Amino acid sequence: MAMTVKPWQWGNVPGHEMATPVKGDVVAKLIKSAKRPLLVVGGEALREKWGDKLLIDFVAELAKTGVPVVATAHTYRALRERGVEPAAIMTVADVTNRLQDPSWSVDGKGVHDLAIFVGISYQLQSQMLSTLKHFATHLRTISLDRYFHPNATFSMPNLKQDEWEQVLNNVIQVVRG
Amino acid sequence: MAEKGPLKISAKELTSGLVHAKDVEVFIGRLAMEEEWEPLGPTPFPSIATLRSWDHLLLSRYKPFYAPFCDYCCLCTYGKCDLSKGRLGACGLDMKAQTARIVLIACCIGAATHLSHARHMVDHLIEKYGEDYPINLGSDIAVEMPHARLITGIKPKTLGDLAFLLNYCEKQVTQCLSAAHTGQEGSYIDFESKALQVSMIDHLAMEIADVAQIVTFGFPKGDPDAPLTWVGLGVLDLSKPVVLCIGHNVSAGIEVIDYLEKSGLGGPGETVEVAGLCCTAHDITRYRDQAKIVGPISDQLRIIRSGAADAIMIDEQCIRTNVVYEAQRVKTPVIAVSDKASHGLPDVSELPIEKIVQMLVSGSTPGVFLPDLEKAGAVVALTAIRMAPIRQKFKIIPDPSQIQTQASQCTFCGTCRRNCPIDLPIDQAVFNAKNGNFELLSMLHDVCLGCARCEQVCPRKIPALSLIEAAAQHKIKTEKYRMRVGRGPILDTEIREVGSPIVLGEIPGVVAYVGCANFPNGGREVATMAREFARRGYIVTLSGCSAMVASYVKNEEGKTIYEEFPGAFDRGGVVNVGSCVANAHISGAAIKIANIFARRPLRANYEEIADYILNRVGACGVAWGAYSQKAASIATGFNRLGVPVIVGPQGSKYRRMYLGRAEDKESFTVYDARTGERVWVGPAPEHLIIALETMEECMVWTAKLCIRPNDTTKGRMIKLTHYVDLYKRIYGRLPPDLHMFVRTEADIPVTFKDEIMQHLKEVGWKPWERPSIDPTLLKRLVRV
Ligand code: SF4
Ligand code: SF4
Ligand code: SF4
Repeated sequence: MAMTVKPWQWGNVPGHEMATPVKGDVVAKLIKSAKRPLLVVGGEALREKWGDKLLIDFVAELAKTGVPVVATAHTYRALRERGVEPAAIMTVADVTNRLQDPSWSVDGKGVHDLAIFVGISYQLQSQMLSTLKHFATHLRTISLDRYFHPNATFSMPNLKQDEWEQVLNNVIQVVRG
Repeated sequence: MAEKGPLKISAKELTSGLVHAKDVEVFIGRLAMEEEWEPLGPTPFPSIATLRSWDHLLLSRYKPFYAPFCDYCCLCTYGKCDLSKGRLGACGLDMKAQTARIVLIACCIGAATHLSHARHMVDHLIEKYGEDYPINLGSDIAVEMPHARLITGIKPKTLGDLAFLLNYCEKQVTQCLSAAHTGQEGSYIDFESKALQVSMIDHLAMEIADVAQIVTFGFPKGDPDAPLTWVGLGVLDLSKPVVLCIGHNVSAGIEVIDYLEKSGLGGPGETVEVAGLCCTAHDITRYRDQAKIVGPISDQLRIIRSGAADAIMIDEQCIRTNVVYEAQRVKTPVIAVSDKASHGLPDVSELPIEKIVQMLVSGSTPGVFLPDLEKAGAVVALTAIRMAPIRQKFKIIPDPSQIQTQASQCTFCGTCRRNCPIDLPIDQAVFNAKNGNFELLSMLHDVCLGCARCEQVCPRKIPALSLIEAAAQHKIKTEKYRMRVGRGPILDTEIREVGSPIVLGEIPGVVAYVGCANFPNGGREVATMAREFARRGYIVTLSGCSAMVASYVKNEEGKTIYEEFPGAFDRGGVVNVGSCVANAHISGAAIKIANIFARRPLRANYEEIADYILNRVGACGVAWGAYSQKAASIATGFNRLGVPVIVGPQGSKYRRMYLGRAEDKESFTVYDARTGERVWVGPAPEHLIIALETMEECMVWTAKLCIRPNDTTKGRMIKLTHYVDLYKRIYGRLPPDLHMFVRTEADIPVTFKDEIMQHLKEVGWKPWERPSIDPTLLKRLVRV
């Protein structure tokens, strides 16, 4: 039975249909099974911790497995410093706007089937996921932040830091593998 | 006031030798009485339909992007209707239209608020000074009210004229709001068009409110050397009685000052401190620069709880709605003067001043409602004087020594953080304090919005905001900054000087930091951005809460931006126009550039002027902490006039942006007015309103959104120099869209020439065939 989870921000209750909470192996499997995933990273990734590193280090690791990444906010330089060349530099609103359009993809290689949001400030991310929930019905979304995002298709259920980091580590392993 | 009665007529089209007017519904009598100061343009007193085609043009390039806040509509008793994922409501409405409708309602609230403020102000001033009181902004300002002239075709001469213009505004707000009723408008584009209409009206209403107060109260009339005043939580002399004015309508605050002066108690600060929060604060300092500004809206609870105020006067807008309760906690009486915000207090209009003061001082009532402003001025001053020795600045912010005890109940449950609008780690901060470490609490003082939502939800009733303030006591005392008081309009003489370099692009842009204090990381980001752009030679204009917090970062010499840069509307100038309603002078300056510098006809000629501004005036608004419905209508009004706006991440909760798509070349084509050909001009400006996440990103986009199709080669080179320089500093590379802005080799910034040439070669860039055109979106302006 699906768990019921309160949105991270208590007031952020959009409606009766909310994201499916996911953790453990499921997250990694969802990403692994996506045919055309797109990773969208935001400014919080430069501040959030991932073990003794930063969340942006995780993003770089994941990007190196071949998932194309859109660097939003001012994350580009940090990704480059970690050896990743993002597929695009955009604002999060710009990439969300384009993701509504089934004829758009970041590399022109066909429509994306999974948008992976990570490290974007909670409220802004929630709004962008809302856009995609309502107007990009061809697309599934997942938030890799540890906070429950009801507007995503899949989201972490407000995990504790260590549990969340484990999920992320698992993602890297499975997607690499 | 007896209204001069115009005859109202409506017509689909009017054509005469001089005029071709569309969808006219004009107050012909009034226009006929108007001297012929300029031939009447096509759109006097526009109604919703008049400028609809302009809106549709804009929105075909800048398509509304929706981020719904809620899956439901609950506006009528059919609801709640689930509109998610393409579902329609019981009335047939879809999610885009519903979201646009909410935006329209927000803009109507914003416009109605400024408008009713203007109405109150103008009626009060007419009562005081008479309807024939002249609108005179001094010899350096001939175009006194660019919005009034542009929108209505009227050149206002007296307070009575302003009252007349308000009739038109009130009608428009009613019309636009009525479109939001169930079963009226159904198209999101047309909801947006109405939002644009009512927001244009908002700018006119703001202009009316500010000009009325400038001319009657003797505020600075565009003076670049307007005096400096004090802003900050540490500015008050607590040895004196303190009057705190909260809100936006200064008429009442002025009565307090007048009373003190007339009674021989001296000006503000002599025997009684007169200070304010929000825009009333701006405006009392425009009246007397000895008055002080405590800070933006986010400081409201802090200052009340600090016990500094001996009497609080509230007028209208942005007042904490539990102000009476909070003030009671520190024994401060509240005097409400506006029927829009009377807070359940007893109406004492009929009682004599002495009796009212007695009621307040004795504590028999926590406050009073007193709409008679002159009387209220006396009551507030006398109450503060008498309460000061009784209250002894009674406060509820604990002493630092009590922090640990008060935090000791914290279980680190995280509830506070999960209810904090900006997700601050308040749980961690309180928990650390429980263990004797107050550092994080003290740091949060700089970024916290002062909303106290954390306290509301804490299961242990821990007063987290008060703990933040207690932990920051040592630094609050030093929070004193110099700010130039709001100077009001931009002088015609300044426009003549800078019109050419702005339009040709040699002044890289005009950046307006405006709006409220819902900042993602505190007000210091605004100060940092404003300084960056002033140093780069942009004209930096500011208003409202943003103008206050822009003083919060001092330079190496200990100077705020107001001390570091001149107050002129010129390259590298830092121009505080004043309160929210003074925003009309920033949009008004763009209009004046089109009219005074470029000699475009102004009178009732909205489309042409907006088209001019969109294509030629490199201006960009930044409302980094916008929170209110007024900010929604201010931004949307800028948008209709062709000025792009950036909002901070919290602004995504306005739930609508207007976004272009740079790769959609067709949408960025314009007419060349000389030949009638359609020409691609690059994505300039790329968006009309967008929410961004970080300050760094905002700076890059500010520079980019100042680029315009009409820039000369030299101008484009200068603008690109700043865009590229910021981009390289922040991203460590050249902007990937550079090829869309470089028209010929001469546009390339000299400093980066080789690198850019190399990059352009790699992306297959070729010099544009038509780099220099006369750009317009309006077919009727094509001259062949
Ligand atoms: S206005 Fe329309 S969508 Fe909204 S509750 Fe009523 S029927 Fe439903
Ligand atoms: S809600 Fe109260 S008890 Fe819970 S972490 Fe915050 S301050 Fe502590
Ligand atoms: S008062 Fe400050 S910490 Fe508390 S909820 Fe508001 S912004 Fe967050």
